[in-house]
Amino acid sequence: MKISLDWIRDYVELPNDLEVSKLMYDLTMSTVEVEGADVLRDRFENIVIGDILEVLPHPNADKLKICRTDIGDGETHEIVCGGINLAPGMKVAVAKPGAMVRWHGEGEPVEIKNAKLRGVESYGMICASSEIGIFELFPFTEAATIVDLSAFGASCGTNLAEALGIDDVILEIDNKSLTNRPDLWGHYGVARELAALYGIPMKKLPVFRPKEGAAGINIVIDNPERCARYIGVKIENVSPKPSLFNIQSRIWRVGMRPINALVDITNYVMLAVGQPTHAFDSDNIEGHITVRSAGDGERLLLLNGKELSLRKSDLVIADDEGAVGLAGIMGGAKDSVLDKTERVILEIANFEPIGIRRTTQHHELRTEASIRYEKGIDPQRADLALGLAMSMFEDEFPGMSVTGFDDNYPRNLESSEIDVSLEWMARRMGKRLSDDSIKEMLINLGFDVKIDGDNLHVVSPSWRSTGDISIPDDIMEEAARLHGYENFEPTPITTAFNGAVNQREIDIDRRIREYLSFRCGMQEIFTYPWVHDDFLDVVSPARNGLLQISTPPSPDEKFIRSSLLPNLLKAVADNARFFDEFAIYESAQIFSDGDYSAAYDKRELLPRGRRSVAGALVGRQDAVNSLFRRAKGILEEMPRYTHMEPLTFTQREKPVWADDIVWLDIERSGESAGKIALLSKKSAIACGIKTSAAMIFELDIDSLKPQTSRTNRYAHLPEYPQVEYDISMIFDEPVKWETILQTIRGKRSEGDLVRSVSFVDVYHGKQVPDGKKSVTLRLVIGSDKKTLTSDEIEACANLIVKRLTKTLGGELRG
Amino acid sequence: MHEELARLRASGETRIASATAIAELRNVKASLIGKNGALSDIMKEIPKLDPSLRAETGKLANELKAFFTKLIEARDEELQLSESAISGDFDLTVPGIPPSGGALHPITQMCYDLNDTFRSLGFEIFQESEITSELYAFDNLNFPPDHPARESMDTYWISGRDSGRGGDRLCLRPHLTGASVRYMQTHKPPYRFVYPGHVYRNETTDARHERAFFQYEALIVDRDMPFTAGKVMVKSILDKVFGRDVPVRMRVGFFPFVEPGFEIDMGCLVCNGAGCSVCKNVGWIEIMPGGTPHPNVLKAAGLDPAQYTGFYVNIGLDRLVMMRYGVDDVRLFHSADLRFLSQFK
Repeated sequence: MKISLDWIRDYVELPNDLEVSKLMYDLTMSTVEVEGADVLRDRFENIVIGDILEVLPHPNADKLKICRTDIGDGETHEIVCGGINLAPGMKVAVAKPGAMVRWHGEGEPVEIKNAKLRGVESYGMICASSEIGIFELFPFTEAATIVDLSAFGASCGTNLAEALGIDDVILEIDNKSLTNRPDLWGHYGVARELAALYGIPMKKLPVFRPKEGAAGINIVIDNPERCARYIGVKIENVSPKPSLFNIQSRIWRVGMRPINALVDITNYVMLAVGQPTHAFDSDNIEGHITVRSAGDGERLLLLNGKELSLRKSDLVIADDEGAVGLAGIMGGAKDSVLDKTERVILEIANFEPIGIRRTTQHHELRTEASIRYEKGIDPQRADLALGLAMSMFEDEFPGMSVTGFDDNYPRNLESSEIDVSLEWMARRMGKRLSDDSIKEMLINLGFDVKIDGDNLHVVSPSWRSTGDISIPDDIMEEAARLHGYENFEPTPITTAFNGAVNQREIDIDRRIREYLSFRCGMQEIFTYPWVHDDFLDVVSPARNGLLQISTPPSPDEKFIRSSLLPNLLKAVADNARFFDEFAIYESAQIFSDGDYSAAYDKRELLPRGRRSVAGALVGRQDAVNSLFRRAKGILEEMPRYTHMEPLTFTQREKPVWADDIVWLDIERSGESAGKIALLSKKSAIACGIKTSAAMIFELDIDSLKPQTSRTNRYAHLPEYPQVEYDISMIFDEPVKWETILQTIRGKRSEGDLVRSVSFVDVYHGKQVPDGKKSVTLRLVIGSDKKTLTSDEIEACANLIVKRLTKTLGGELRG
Repeated sequence: MHEELARLRASGETRIASATAIAELRNVKASLIGKNGALSDIMKEIPKLDPSLRAETGKLANELKAFFTKLIEARDEELQLSESAISGDFDLTVPGIPPSGGALHPITQMCYDLNDTFRSLGFEIFQESEITSELYAFDNLNFPPDHPARESMDTYWISGRDSGRGGDRLCLRPHLTGASVRYMQTHKPPYRFVYPGHVYRNETTDARHERAFFQYEALIVDRDMPFTAGKVMVKSILDKVFGRDVPVRMRVGFFPFVEPGFEIDMGCLVCNGAGCSVCKNVGWIEIMPGGTPHPNVLKAAGLDPAQYTGFYVNIGLDRLVMMRYGVDDVRLFHSADLRFLSQFK
């Protein structure tokens, strides 16, 4: 919303020494956010009034003239101009070098410089209204019409803003910060707030008193619950002539377009007091004016030319023949003010906000009026609007007469009455303000205030009673903001210490993330909760049990993820374009359409969300073995590093996206906890992953069990030396490591002094026949009774070799 | 001859001690006790001496040889130990091998920074479902029945569950504030907790607007806590995030679920409040909303608003992280693009 300070001064005498920046700051801190100020004098910098002394022909161009012009600096300047209406004695707007103008009213503003035009030096330019942004005040129809400012009587050299009487500052107020303050929509409301902030008096608006018995018009309200008040005034001897320049320019300054005096008055009143008003041609009204619900399917042609098919829930203004306007939103075409209009009916009405909002939404029709009605307006405000409007009609049309008046006011708005404990207020503000200062601030804001002991009894003004002020906390806020939030010192926070915060279930997620990032070298990613159909096809082609968004971000992103994998695969595909090797993971919630429960409130059934973590290790296609071992290692070691119960691996059910051989189920205590697998070639291609191999895992965090503390126990260090002993043996390809391990660990026999066994590597290649593999393993051999001799160590190793040979057909490599 | 030996002893001792390389020491050794060394030259002269002197001089010369040998050995060991392990050239400008390059998402990093701060102040961390109902997203929070945020153009409602009202109408949570009521319903006052997480809004995206973003809320509820305590909370957060004293101002703001409500600004750290393009020349940057929970919200949580009050803040971490690193496109956070993410170690 734009607010003119010049206009504000109509209603309140601002202190002379009040800087605009201070006013902006104070409003921002206590009332609404002021986003900026437009100083019109600066906007028209270097644009001044010039007096054309002489118009000479241009030696090289028929359409151009040379104007000898006085711009008040004691010299006569020659300015080349192509205007069609140039004449000696004409006062014009001259853009001096340095001014910003829009050539021919188009494009971005450019800076004027001294230039030669067809060989003649020109000092700046004589402007058309469109070139200096004032076309709406000085419209023209024929191209190259120069704006004639002779009527303004300003002396040469005067800044254009001053010359036009618009040396004003326009404040830009953030509409969002006005949502709860319908009283501030309009200059009068902002002036009232400033009066309260600075403790200065308001000026009174004119009051209109209808003559007794001047009926002449009859307003019927069918739906008083949706129309609290409707004033109709029939006014004759008017015409759609242009309004007074100051009215036009004020409307223009705050961003609306002047049209004619009849429309301008209604807009001006709305911008002044925030009350929408409407004027319609009374010659086109048949009989009574009725406020009623629309008939189902009733047609209404609006003044913007759009025809609506109405619903019962829409409210209309109707005459005896039918709807003539959409209440509170837009007038109809039938009764709109036209060139020949001589009699109007001025409507000043109060409509209930929710109905207005529903109608504007349904018909996709928002107007300046509907925006204001949607916020809620007190019906008392119609009186301000009426007084102001009627005084403006008198100014614009001295010969006008009021031939009809009706004020149908079925529903008054009750003022809010609130009792507040002063002692409570002091506790909540962390500071005790004096009773007198609280009283004074509230009175300045228009409240009626009575203090009786600890009790502050407050009656709020009508303009704050539309829902804005209703509870004691609102009164505290009024006092606090007027006192100035900066004038409250921060108060230390004190709460009892009730013991350490211990949230294992919450912390496990963080420990997993930190483990994956810091220990495993993986990068955390964020993706969206919705998944793209292409990637969903790879992971869960069936779609059953998935939740959907009713208005999805795009038609092929309507499903909510029940697994992190589709988006993880997308991230793999996206990054594979730039990197050969990388490792990523995400930890987030997943949902399925089922398992509904009322965890918090029996009125609410929510699908159970599960916390999940999924990762991908990506590398070259020939690196599957090492990718597999890295990925598996990450999951094998995770329980130790993140302090939770151990995970085991087995094959139960192959996921659809997985390679035929390389996949495992992850389990905790025999319960499924996730999957780890190589992405199948088919799935990779479907995801657009062409040259990389990806090991993928997904783990259900909610099925993991964090341990209460670190539970592993310390093991004594060996008293006697232990020896590492590597053995390489050739086995048949199908012999699994797990089997080798079990065989070594099998029955303990005399001389078996193996303390531990570990995997070193598997080798295929020269010296290893086809269908065989060479496995290198490492034994740790030692005794807790003595230092072993090399014979004893050899004997132990031989024992193991023999056992592997006998049981698994292993053969020692030379 | 004795004098000659004494001179050789002194000069030899100095030369051995001042040898700084093994090769040099080898030369010294040769020139002192080598076949053609100084001592050999002297010893060659011994047979020419008076016989009565020979034995003693020979003894002295042998002693000197032993002395030199010992000294040279000691020096040799010393020089060997102090010699570099590297023979030849070594390029010290070759870059090191970086440790494995994983990292947390920059927003997670900020979130954990704040979690640590709040944990140290005794706050709990609360997580709830990203799917919630109108009851918790709007009704409990004092949103009027026709508030525009309830419309489908602002909130992602769930298909088939978007037509009912209250608990029957489900959506991806449009903000975190509803979680505060969940926590309060399941815990005993007083409360100190934070509830970080993703929220989702139906928006058109561009460099400054996203459909998914990360919020961080903190709430204290206690008996008669003045709103001025909120300033302390806000300052703790910002001082932690920016690592220095950040000026804070609270000004009037309106949100249905707080009363009074505040817009909280921080002093622009680019210009230190002097005014610049980042802060649009006002010296302050709007950083978070906050306020005292509205009595209706406390009632929804089962508390008596006459007794309990508190302070709440909501921090958009995306925006804060953007400021922390100068990120100019909010959509990068959910892009999973490693070229972006790997910059935040």
